Amino acid sequence: MNQLGTEKKSIDRWRIRFVSLIMTSVILFYIIRLFSMQILEGQAYLEQANQNRTKEISIATQRGIIYDRNGFVLARNVASYNVVITPANLPDVDLLNPNGDVQRIYRELSKLIDVPVDNGEINEETVRNFTPCYTDFGIKQIVYIGDTNAPYNAVRIKCNISAEAAMIIREKTSDWPGVGIEIVSVRDYPTGELTSEVVGFLGPVPASQVDIYEELGFVSDRDKVGYAGIESYLDDLLIGVNGKQVVEVDGAGQTIRDLQVPVNPVPGNSLKLTIDTRLQSAAKTALVNQMTTLNLLKGQEKYQIGVVIAMNPKTGEILSLVSYPTFENNRLARVIPADYYNQLQLDTRKPLFNHAISAEHPPGSVFKMATAIGILNENVVDVNKEIFDPGRITILEKFTPNDPGTPRDYVCYTYKTTGAGHGNVNYLRGVALSCDVYFYKVGGGYGDEVPQGLGIWRIGEYAKALGYGAITGIELPGEADGLIPDPTWKRIYIGETWSTGDTYIATIGQGYVLSTPIQVLVSFATLANDGIYMKPTLVKEVLDSEGNVVTPFTPTQVWDITQDKLIHVYDENFLQTGEMKSVEPWVIQKAKEGMRQVVVDGTATDVFSGMKFETAGKTGTAEYCDNIANDKGLCIPGSWPAHAWYAGYAPYDNPEIVVVAFVYNGDEGSVVAGPIVRNVLEAYFELKAIDSGVESNP
Amino acid sequence: MLKREFWQQFDYTLFGTVLILCIFGIAMIQSAIAGNEDIAGSVSRQVIFVIGGMVVMLFVATIDYRYFSSITRILYVVSVLLLMAIYVIGTAVYGSARWFDTGVILIQPSELVKTIMIIILADYFAKTEYDAKDFRWIIKSFLLTAFVVIWILLQPNLSMSIVIFFMWFALLFYAGLPVKYLIMLGVLGIVVVAIGFPLLEEYQQARVLNFIFPDPNASYGDNFNVEQAKISIGSGGWLGMGYGHGSQVQLRFLKVRHTDFIFSAMANEFGFVGTVVVILLIVFVVIRCFQVGKKSTDTFGSLIAYGIGTLIFFQMAVNIGVNLNVIPVTGLTLPFISYGGSSLASLLLGMGFVESVSAHRHKNV
Repeated sequence: MNQLGTEKKSIDRWRIRFVSLIMTSVILFYIIRLFSMQILEGQAYLEQANQNRTKEISIATQRGIIYDRNGFVLARNVASYNVVITPANLPDVDLLNPNGDVQRIYRELSKLIDVPVDNGEINEETVRNFTPCYTDFGIKQIVYIGDTNAPYNAVRIKCNISAEAAMIIREKTSDWPGVGIEIVSVRDYPTGELTSEVVGFLGPVPASQVDIYEELGFVSDRDKVGYAGIESYLDDLLIGVNGKQVVEVDGAGQTIRDLQVPVNPVPGNSLKLTIDTRLQSAAKTALVNQMTTLNLLKGQEKYQIGVVIAMNPKTGEILSLVSYPTFENNRLARVIPADYYNQLQLDTRKPLFNHAISAEHPPGSVFKMATAIGILNENVVDVNKEIFDPGRITILEKFTPNDPGTPRDYVCYTYKTTGAGHGNVNYLRGVALSCDVYFYKVGGGYGDEVPQGLGIWRIGEYAKALGYGAITGIELPGEADGLIPDPTWKRIYIGETWSTGDTYIATIGQGYVLSTPIQVLVSFATLANDGIYMKPTLVKEVLDSEGNVVTPFTPTQVWDITQDKLIHVYDENFLQTGEMKSVEPWVIQKAKEGMRQVVVDGTATDVFSGMKFETAGKTGTAEYCDNIANDKGLCIPGSWPAHAWYAGYAPYDNPEIVVVAFVYNGDEGSVVAGPIVRNVLEAYFELKAIDSGVESNP
Repeated sequence: MLKREFWQQFDYTLFGTVLILCIFGIAMIQSAIAGNEDIAGSVSRQVIFVIGGMVVMLFVATIDYRYFSSITRILYVVSVLLLMAIYVIGTAVYGSARWFDTGVILIQPSELVKTIMIIILADYFAKTEYDAKDFRWIIKSFLLTAFVVIWILLQPNLSMSIVIFFMWFALLFYAGLPVKYLIMLGVLGIVVVAIGFPLLEEYQQARVLNFIFPDPNASYGDNFNVEQAKISIGSGGWLGMGYGHGSQVQLRFLKVRHTDFIFSAMANEFGFVGTVVVILLIVFVVIRCFQVGKKSTDTFGSLIAYGIGTLIFFQMAVNIGVNLNVIPVTGLTLPFISYGGSSLASLLLGMGFVESVSAHRHKNV
């Protein structure tokens, strides 16, 4: 009041104006900024806002079930229990009593599921490497990570706990708020190791394919994909389509409502395979018993790898497919344990490798059947023409027609033991005795006796017609195509000129010739089926999730070598004339007669004596020298190690089953592989009798 | 006791605008609750604060502001005592002791002191109107302010301390701070910031640093609130998502949406048009305050009106600046709209002073 009566000294006008100016600028700046955010960038922010509140939830579908041909379950889905904690639902941490409810829950839970309460150090790196189910963290740490990421999302504490523990935890729901049980579907293989080479197993989506699978609506850290066998090859059929739920969530991640009509998952198709589990069991037992017995006799683990495949030659249905050793797919079904997987990977016998379709080996004498139909169809020799086998012949190894050549000895297998040959043999005896010299002469030519042999080009034609040198298309991943060599191939891949000697040994399935067991099987099936090549298949029927047949079984004929002109016609200089021809039916008939002679009076007579039904077949003893044998110092010239092969079918007059057996480093085909085939054939007919109601063992 | 002149000079437009803003604020808080039970009581409490505040405002308006000049010493002592008492009987919330817990509501004395300080400083500058505007004059006013602010700074409550120092500076400027000192103070200010920054509490430093150098990886961390505020504002568009329908607000992506970030909530639901209208209403209040200051017949009255106007503008500018992510996060409210009893009460008290200046502009005693 002291200024009462004095003249008012007003505040400088310029100061107010100055401040007003600043204020106006600030407001203008804000309005411009607001305009830019809301109007110019509004759409982008709106998208972010929508993204905030929209969440896509993938509803897991059910993978299809795999049955054998009789409806026996080979792969199914069973429930597995995971312990989860939803951090937001845990009791609030009481600051005054930090050892209160939450700690009590942790302690009690820890005791039950054997996960420590407190373990591991939280830092940037350990958190980045954190994977639920595969962590060493304690409960406290896992919950901390879950709480930081998304408090309303359940985080897995332990996976695959026992049903009993899951039951206990479910009963404690009211005592343990926030703790729950997540039920996930896992694959179970009731037949396990018995069928694992066919069925395969599942694993997490491979990192390289995450984008592809996520594009298709799969959740890479939840959904699994096939890793081997049918599970892998027919993954697309089995896997199904996940459902989708688009929901609105709030800031804490809680679901508010559906934004779209939820899309229900479409379960995968089920498969009925052509495999007969009983025959598979018989085949595997036959193989393993044979190898074990012989190993015991030898006193060493000599026979370790083997294959048995059985197929119906008329339809191509694979009745059993054994690749030994294999893996226990149940151990790989839930989580893939690193130690077991490493053990499988390091095993030199390659259990994860399907020897039946992926292994390429020299076929040896079983390959002679390709040469055999070739020489008759090309009229190289007459069926009855006798060719002399002295045990050892000397042939000039020539690289060019004008090459003077170097003499080289070729021996019949008898020569190594007896020093003699088979003497005079005709076509049927040649096949029955698997006479190497007969096939050398007719395959490569021999002086005046066989002026012009079949030759490598034409051997290749007939081999390919029987299914060699190409994949068969069986529904398994990783099938190999083998190798039917020819001069062009040798020039390119070996860098050498084809020699006459190459032809001689190719004639008997040695040298560069490679084939997979399934190719050998198919070649015999084609002959047994009078020249009709049926595509081998593992799938009998495709079913929908309710068990209705979607795709009924339809045998696929690849070709009929007696009808389809598959064979290139060559002129005298082995150049293609451009003409094609088929194989004469009588040639197939003679080949079958030859194979019948093998068991009647040939290399496999002893093994197949006393059978209740007529069979036919062919032995094979394929010399080899791969890196394993070489490392062991087994590749002694003239006495190489050998694989044992036998391919046979029955009944002879109306074949229902073709079986091939292969034993790696199995020495003698007739001795080691033959009995396996016999066992499988007998088991087949026994099962057939059982199925038709005839008691076989009264 | 109220003469006819009081009713003639009372600024009804100003009062009306403030009332509209307060009511709009209540509505906005109602929407911002968005089902959160913890803050569900905010609306009814805010209604009580508005009614109570209005009563205080009208009561203060009836008193001739010149009377306050005589009790500034008492006001000053009471303010300091109030602030000191917090350390004895205050309640700490979020780590800083700022509140008196009365059992029903929390009272934040520093908010009240903020308005009182304007009266005290206006009185000081009015009384020294004819003194030399020298260094002593500045230092005296500074010490007068600092002795109050020190207690607020120690709570710690940095933003309120800054507000009060800003008000000191604004009033100093209005009262005739010579330009050479203005420049010197500017330089000094920069030096103080440079030296003072390391002395700040860690969370305060972090806030500032986080603002200047946002961590691009911290989507769920420290930037979350600001990021969500930006999305809330941006997604509003021209007209907003509608009252009670803002997805960012109703689904609670926007945090502290009923207090510090109510501007973003508003922008989300009412869009550019609605937000600009509200800004202009607050600006209108500031303009009216300045007009009252201009019309006032004495320096004390002018300084009060200019001071309160500047305070409202400053709070609005800082709050909106935080929401628009142009300045670091501070805890200042949006005048009249944000939830908060102490803040609202102190602003309405300030409006009471302005109305008093307006109504008693003629020395008719």
